[in-house]
Amino acid sequence: MTDRNEFDEDPQLRAILGQADPARSLTPADPQGLARLLEDTMNDAAETAGTTSGATPVRQRGPLTWLAGAAAVAIVAGGGFAIASSMGGDDRTVDQAGDPTTPSATTEPTVVTLQAPSLAAKCAMPTPELLSQFDTAFAGTVTAIDGDVVTLTPTEMFMGPSADEIEIVGATPDLRMLGGQVTFEVGQTYYVSATGGQVSACGFSGSATDSQLEQLYDLAFR
Amino acid sequence: MSDERRDRFETVATLVTEPVRRFLARRTDPDTADDVLAETLLVCWRRLDDVPEGDEALPWTYAVARNALANAERGARRQRRLAYRITVVDPPAEADPVPDDTGDRVTEALARLRPEEAELLRLWAWEQLGPAEIATVLDLTPNAVSIRLHRARGKLREMLEET
Repeated sequence: MTDRNEFDEDPQLRAILGQADPARSLTPADPQGLARLLEDTMNDAAETAGTTSGATPVRQRGPLTWLAGAAAVAIVAGGGFAIASSMGGDDRTVDQAGDPTTPSATTEPTVVTLQAPSLAAKCAMPTPELLSQFDTAFAGTVTAIDGDVVTLTPTEMFMGPSADEIEIVGATPDLRMLGGQVTFEVGQTYYVSATGGQVSACGFSGSATDSQLEQLYDLAFR
Repeated sequence: MSDERRDRFETVATLVTEPVRRFLARRTDPDTADDVLAETLLVCWRRLDDVPEGDEALPWTYAVARNALANAERGARRQRRLAYRITVVDPPAEADPVPDDTGDRVTEALARLRPEEAELLRLWAWEQLGPAEIATVLDLTPNAVSIRLHRARGKLREMLEET
């Protein structure tokens, strides 16, 4: 079917491109989740004329309800592939031929992006007074880690604009250390504070299971 | 619901699901990827009669995924409100030595190419498709694919040599 002879010329360039392949470190999907997805798809009750006339089928909620379950964060070994929550899709239309379709008002998430802390930052002792001056502070659960971007869903906003999702973007090779104390893991909850768009190091951010940190936040933002 | 239809769909799904998942993971965020994967499989189910036999089901499905992704992103662009975005700070001097940054340079170069050129290169190098298959995905002739891909490779090579 395909003549790959000339096509494979330049294997070097192909290999170089391969180094930028975002899916290189993609872990396999959760087999149970996939099985459910296929089941739901086959149970789809398409009452539209979509299958024969080529008209635009209306996507119903059925196949996606399992994705929309707020409690469902699937953690595959290594944490590479997380099926996140917050799907707001309502009556979006899907057309295979690519005709323009106008999605109806879906609630797309607001996203706040923060910069990871600089490891060279000098540290002051964390106190509630200092913490209360930060312009962004929240408790959030990690829903995805993709390269150097950690995505969290805030469970509580103490300070700063409310957002559906907060992304922390790295400047250092190992993003995942917060002041050398904490590694982000999908499904875990963290306290994060930032000022001027940069996440604080120095004990102002960390795991939500840290009771001292919990107390700090409680005192700072009561 | 006929068993035949279910069997056929399961055959198709077995062939396409993981490749399409990777296709989407390469091009969008995990949330959108999940959503578009589900929509793509739904189209395969509803249009099962249109899905080509055998291996050709995959490029056909890539085309569906590509369109569904474009729709999703159009909607997202219209409605997402970014609160604020911060510029990247230089890493501190005492950070670990910078690992080989070829991947970054390639990513950057791809971003500078025209979107159609970048997509040709991705389908060639990441999805590892041949000219006829790429033609199906992009709705072009295999000949046009070969010519444009050749040009795109040249441009990428030049860009990488510059940096």
